[in-house]
Amino acid sequence: MQQDSTAKEWGNPSRILFVIGLITALSVIPHLLPNNYWLRIYTMTGLFVMLALGLNIVAGFAGLLDLAYVAFFGIGGYTFALLSSNHLNIHWPFPFVLLLSSFLTMGFGLALGAVSLRLKGDYLAIVTLAFAQIFRLLLLNLDQPVNITGGVNGIYSFDPIHFFGLKILSPVAYAYLIWFFAGLTVLASFRIKQSRIGRGWEAIREDELAAEAMGVHTTLLKLMAFAGGAWVAGAAGTLFASLQDSVFPNNFDFPQLVVIYCMVILGGLGNIAGVVIGAVLLTILPEFLREYGAYRMMLYGLILIVLMALRPQGLLGEINFLSKIRKRPDKDESGVLKASTDLYYQAENPEKEAASRHAVGQRVMLELDRASMQFGGLSAVDNLSFTLREKEILSLIGPNGAGKTTVFNLISGIYQPSWGNILFEGQSLTGLKPHQVVKKGIARTFQNLRLFNQMSILDNTKVGRFSRTSAGPVSILFHLPKHKKEEQETEKRTKEILGLFGARLTGYRYQQKAMFLSYANRRRLEIARAMATDAKLLLLDEPSAGMNPQETVEMTRFIKKLRDDYGYTILVIEHKLNVVKTISDRVIVLDYGRKIAEGSYDEVANNPYVVEAYLGRKK
Amino acid sequence: MDFYLQQLPQQLVNGLTLGGVYALIAIGYTMVYGILSMLNFAHGEIYMIGGFTGWWVLNLLSKDNVPIIHAGLVIALMLIVSMLVSGLLGMTVERVAYRPLRKAPRINLLLSALGVSIFLQNLVLQYQGAKARFFHITSLIPEHLRVFQIGDVMLSFMRILVIVVAFVLMAALTLMVKKTKIGKAMRATAQDPEAALFMGINIDRIIILVFLIGSALGGAAGTLVGLLFTQVDYYVGFQAGLKGFTAAVLGGIGNISGAMLGGILLGLLESLATTFFPAAYKDVVTFVILILVLIFRPWGLIGKKLPEKV
Repeated sequence: MQQDSTAKEWGNPSRILFVIGLITALSVIPHLLPNNYWLRIYTMTGLFVMLALGLNIVAGFAGLLDLAYVAFFGIGGYTFALLSSNHLNIHWPFPFVLLLSSFLTMGFGLALGAVSLRLKGDYLAIVTLAFAQIFRLLLLNLDQPVNITGGVNGIYSFDPIHFFGLKILSPVAYAYLIWFFAGLTVLASFRIKQSRIGRGWEAIREDELAAEAMGVHTTLLKLMAFAGGAWVAGAAGTLFASLQDSVFPNNFDFPQLVVIYCMVILGGLGNIAGVVIGAVLLTILPEFLREYGAYRMMLYGLILIVLMALRPQGLLGEINFLSKIRKRPDKDESGVLKASTDLYYQAENPEKEAASRHAVGQRVMLELDRASMQFGGLSAVDNLSFTLREKEILSLIGPNGAGKTTVFNLISGIYQPSWGNILFEGQSLTGLKPHQVVKKGIARTFQNLRLFNQMSILDNTKVGRFSRTSAGPVSILFHLPKHKKEEQETEKRTKEILGLFGARLTGYRYQQKAMFLSYANRRRLEIARAMATDAKLLLLDEPSAGMNPQETVEMTRFIKKLRDDYGYTILVIEHKLNVVKTISDRVIVLDYGRKIAEGSYDEVANNPYVVEAYLGRKK
Repeated sequence: MDFYLQQLPQQLVNGLTLGGVYALIAIGYTMVYGILSMLNFAHGEIYMIGGFTGWWVLNLLSKDNVPIIHAGLVIALMLIVSMLVSGLLGMTVERVAYRPLRKAPRINLLLSALGVSIFLQNLVLQYQGAKARFFHITSLIPEHLRVFQIGDVMLSFMRILVIVVAFVLMAALTLMVKKTKIGKAMRATAQDPEAALFMGINIDRIIILVFLIGSALGGAAGTLVGLLFTQVDYYVGFQAGLKGFTAAVLGGIGNISGAMLGGILLGLLESLATTFFPAAYKDVVTFVILILVLIFRPWGLIGKKLPEKV
């Protein structure tokens, strides 16, 4: 089962051959092109590959609709223009300016990200668009009182560039230079996508709140996406400025942004190979339309409309032509399907020795002290106090609207209590963000299922490992040992946990998207994802909802096993009273946000207040 | 300071005129957002095409820049035809580009709208060219009404016309939404489309109607601006769209009276800003307002903050 991930990546001979072939082709093409016109298009293609991949980081990986992207491209271009020309009479060396402008642009990206972090979807789009417009207005108008940007006339004639002893002057040299950086961007994109950061971005794109609740530091990752996109755009801007030997405000205008967006969307948001192909297609094809003026831009408009209606996942979306068809493990040699329940019981471990079983401890793990949550005038949770001991299974029951899920939201940090306190292992959780709560050792599932639907089962679970890993972008981009070790550990832990659910979540299903799972299996995957966070305390919100009686029995046993065999402490919300009866050490009943009863199942079931809350008062 | 105070009444009138136009554009954004939760990026282009339609009607009814029928009738026809054309265009856009995406993520809708915007803008560029088209309106208005002065304030017939038309249209819309059965259906659909559907409201029809009304008002705004500033070109929709959206956000998006208030407020702010900043940075003021409102009060001045449902 275990495979070294590096060996998997490089050991594949057809893959090495493919890469070598590609590099050879890319270096031969400049010498085969008929004239400088086509050579320039070839070079521009490389530049657009770079630009599209940069946008793909923000808009594709992280799903942030950043309409200021073209302004970052411009900041890179104008930085080079100012620092490497007669305009301000500054003549700094190219490699230094390239680095400087990339990092400067990244700074702008971070700043924009920081102010617009709270915004989602179209609001974010509009704020970034406004930013891009301000940038354009500044470019146009900052030629007076002091001439900084050159206004409409732009800045032109820059220092020829030297790159570590190499003089870049000829069109062929530019082709090599720009495709070299395009190649680096492709490699970096692949590496970052298959890392904890890449998975974190994808999770944010799918469901930001669920990502945060699974331990993903969403604020940090969104900033990283903005920064990464801006970094690439800044570098591309510098290269572009040098290639064109001039910069004008029009180079960094809205239509240019639409072109880059079309490339990314044509290829499929987040799909690296697709985006590269999209960039190549949309740089070369419109050349044949150049004489037709506005038709070219009309075409881009149509591409967006048609793609969104027919193939929003892009041309290459969901076509995985590099992966093999996997054999279904639930078919035996004769080709007959076996029931997956059979596989489940086959995979189930023999019962453990009674001696190694875990039992309720004495230490208090979680304590709610008069925790309250008010929405407007309504008390959803009203001065609720209770304690949960180590390795205890405590059930929270009550009629609909009693405030059970609100209690979970309070503990997991999604809501902050209006007043009162929540202590976990003696420390207050007040003020902690959900991802910090996860790090403390609490993980939850959601009543209405919030999986990352477009991600594979394996990746869904791996997202849970985010808070237990720490490799940063540098470590990931350079494949440093830290990153490699963490990835192996992640792979191992994830497969261990999924293994507990037998064939339902393992084997060929590793690569299956969560959206294709049955309802019951989605509930199981949510539990697996929560377990992957290395939580000590699991908050399970209606784990058996929507399951048939057979599956319910199975889930009941599984929850008990989680405590008995693996030593988890569990707080569970459940409506099915036979489940509650079987698993609970203790039961707390809520009604209108208040605790109306507490004790063993039998005590609670016979409590007159509970009977009244469920069935109404006897006349 | 005296200088600014002296200018104040004039700037208020200018702001009110501009604000009326922004409010008309903002209504289109807000109505669509209220029902589909989408930002109709193409709305600016619908406004622009409204402006071109007004110009076209004016040209059709003029000979050597002199109207061939009664001037009042010309202005009325310009407004009516541009509202019709923009309204129908808005409906078509909804049918072609938005309806197939009704159940898709909102981001897809926004991108499709972006596509429509680019398409329409370049369609006009292709057939009308990049040059601005001029509204020859001098002969539409009797000479003594072109520009006149009341106290310190310079007024013109067109300014008054714009303010009157804008406010009449807004009053009519408010009455329709508040008092008629169809208005009730619109409000119901905005609150909960699914529930409205189960109550027997044909929400497809309501959505079409919303696009028709919103786009028609946008078209009217296009013609009014043409009459006021006497020109239109293929690129005006982009800026106007952003202004309209800012106005809608300022008042609280999804809220019709908010859009009216936001439009007028934005017009006034922009007018006052021109007294303090160079004219070139007038738009920067708008964008800064937009960014600040979205970040600190995304629910707008009169909207209400709603907690996120988990």
